[in-house]
Amino acid sequence: MQVLIDNYHLYLRGLGTTLQICLYAGLLTLVVGTFIAGCRVAPLTPLRAFGTAWVTVFRNCPLAVVLFFMAFGIPALGINASYFVFGTIGLALYTSAFVCEAIRSGINAVSPGQAEAARSVGLGFGQTLRLVILPQAVRSIIPPLGSVMIAMIKNSAIAGAFGIGGDLYAVGIRQSSAQGEEIIPVLLGVALGYLIITIPAGLLLGYVERKVAIAR
Amino acid sequence: MRNGKLTAAAIAASTGLLLSACGSGSSSEEGFSAPVAENPSFEQGTTMAEYADSGEITIGTKKDQPLFGLENLNGEMQGFDVAIGEIIAGKLGIPADKINWKETPSKNRELYIEQGKVDMVVATYTINDKRAERVTFAGPYYEAGQDLMVKQSNDSITGPESLRDSEAKVCSARGSTPSERIREYIDPSRLVLFDTYSKCADALRNGQAQAVTTDNSILMGLVSENENQFKVVGNTFSEEPYGIGITKGDTKFCQFINDSLRTAAENGTYQEAWNSSAGKVSEKTPELPELQSCG
Amino acid sequence: MTEVSTDTPMIRVSAVDKYFGSLHVLKDINLEIPRGQVVVVLGPSGSGKSTLCRVLNRLETIDSGAVAVDGVPLPEEGRALAELRADVGMVFQQFNLFAHKSIIDNVTLGPIKVRKLGKDEAREEGMRLLRRVGIADQAEKYPAQLSGGQQQRAAIARALAMRPKVMLFDEPTSALDPEMVNEVLEVMAGLADEGMTMLVVSHEMGFARRAAHRVLFMADGEVVEDSSPETFFDSPGSERAKDFLGKILTH
Repeated sequence: MQVLIDNYHLYLRGLGTTLQICLYAGLLTLVVGTFIAGCRVAPLTPLRAFGTAWVTVFRNCPLAVVLFFMAFGIPALGINASYFVFGTIGLALYTSAFVCEAIRSGINAVSPGQAEAARSVGLGFGQTLRLVILPQAVRSIIPPLGSVMIAMIKNSAIAGAFGIGGDLYAVGIRQSSAQGEEIIPVLLGVALGYLIITIPAGLLLGYVERKVAIAR
Repeated sequence: MRNGKLTAAAIAASTGLLLSACGSGSSSEEGFSAPVAENPSFEQGTTMAEYADSGEITIGTKKDQPLFGLENLNGEMQGFDVAIGEIIAGKLGIPADKINWKETPSKNRELYIEQGKVDMVVATYTINDKRAERVTFAGPYYEAGQDLMVKQSNDSITGPESLRDSEAKVCSARGSTPSERIREYIDPSRLVLFDTYSKCADALRNGQAQAVTTDNSILMGLVSENENQFKVVGNTFSEEPYGIGITKGDTKFCQFINDSLRTAAENGTYQEAWNSSAGKVSEKTPELPELQSCG
Repeated sequence: MTEVSTDTPMIRVSAVDKYFGSLHVLKDINLEIPRGQVVVVLGPSGSGKSTLCRVLNRLETIDSGAVAVDGVPLPEEGRALAELRADVGMVFQQFNLFAHKSIIDNVTLGPIKVRKLGKDEAREEGMRLLRRVGIADQAEKYPAQLSGGQQQRAAIARALAMRPKVMLFDEPTSALDPEMVNEVLEVMAGLADEGMTMLVVSHEMGFARRAAHRVLFMADGEVVEDSSPETFFDSPGSERAKDFLGKILTH
């Protein structure tokens, strides 16, 4: 365990990088996922087709493949950015398919009469979704969305493998392979780091869940 | 045997023309062939006598390392390590087609020697003290070292020092020793890490990184796989002496291997082995490094 | 009994057909409702009366024919349709109040977001409407805290807050306990007295007799009878209407 104490600053930096990836990817994936969910329930057929195609592609493609396309496909088109940007966007796009499905299932759990009532007072599709459906869907969205987000936090290790480095998992790899440290304590440190992120995330979700359950 | 007909033909031709151990093999690029001693005699009870009598030897090598140990699509073994193995086998009177090539990944090298799965290991095998506790090293037969690979058009990166004040991003394999050493020269934020070096080559090609760093032996392989795109800077900044691993304590065999290497260097076989393999992408032919004592 | 008017009718339905899969739910419906008229639509379940009601603000699409409200053909899905729906009030069988909003917020949502009224102005108007339907004291409560009758009255207030040209009622009292039916019908009758154009899908005969100018009887997707309430209830012209009346009167 000495390795953890001696190298705590490396773990801290790794934790910081992982947190950064998760924060940016998390925000982006919520926006994209919500938009795609909107497409999937939209009254216009092309939008629905787009949403379905999006989910089909990103849900059925292994994350590593998505990240591979981001890291090597996009630069091949002449678009260069840091691997942090590519990895974060790749992770967000991949996760957005799951975010979309969590939101869509929540939307479907809201009685269709709510949407009809909203439309009958003249609200447009976007207003109906934003003002009436989503606020009510939140309660049933939060639990599956929480699972999606926690999965994303863990998946950030894979994003880290695509050139980013310096994330929590990469710190573990570096110490065990390159610096020849015992693998078990090193990986325990890595696991601990992820728990430091995921457990508070879980608690926060539980809190939000209770909060929205009261608000009606 | 896994060597192709071409090599077999070359062996037949060369043994016909040049008797015993003092000739040179074919100098055609693909068809390096080591000279094979006819009926060499060895002191009874030695490892050499055992292998010479059986007429066969099992050599552990990499099969995925271009220019050093690579099994091509036809199942033929190619590379500098393979050539070195053939030179030593030849000294034992064992022709290339009697060598059993056993794929030996890095993490299994000591284990295979200890378990007797291989008779010797020639597999980009860096000599170090920790490994020497479990196996005996003959050689070194080559002095590899960490180097940089850049695009062919790049003249600004000439070595690790030239990276210090640049913006260049450098790619390496995560968890590798080279990825640690390069941190002495660049800020970690400029270090790009992937799980394989071929991804680094892609990053270099599409401009996401300006240099790739690891042992020059690996870099040369990447250069040969991506013709006319990359070059090795040729300014090594670490010492990775490649040795030949054998059973711990087999001093006589170790000395025999060292003698064989020395002879090969003197009569030009060593240089031919290099030229037919790694020499294809390297401007200078190495000297045989100073050999270590066999203890 | 329809008044002769040079005005365009408030609602014009021409040759409308609609299918649910292979089921022909509206068969060549033609209908004009002049301004100020109160129409009650009756019929057995599955006769298409609710579908007709929902077709009028395009909650259901039609397969052929045309629907126009106040002379404007119903547009395709989009902004224009939303604008048109704002002019057509709708009251549902299941109330469909927005469950996450208080009663007053239910009433003011449309005026604020669609009519772009100021919050204060919308609230003032909303409270006036809630007083009118008799539930001003419930304004800050959530729908689930109200009785069915109160909820339906709130739903009517929500529809009225848009200042609609016409009101559609889709079985507004069917989901209510019997003792709550009247409070809702009274509000509706009050509206009728003020001259609101209304189409009411309902089996409430008392309301039909008292407030309706016209009764439509539908069966199997067709308008079978189109007459005054007196004529319809006292001397229905068709066997199917007689049969239907027999059933609901003995019920």
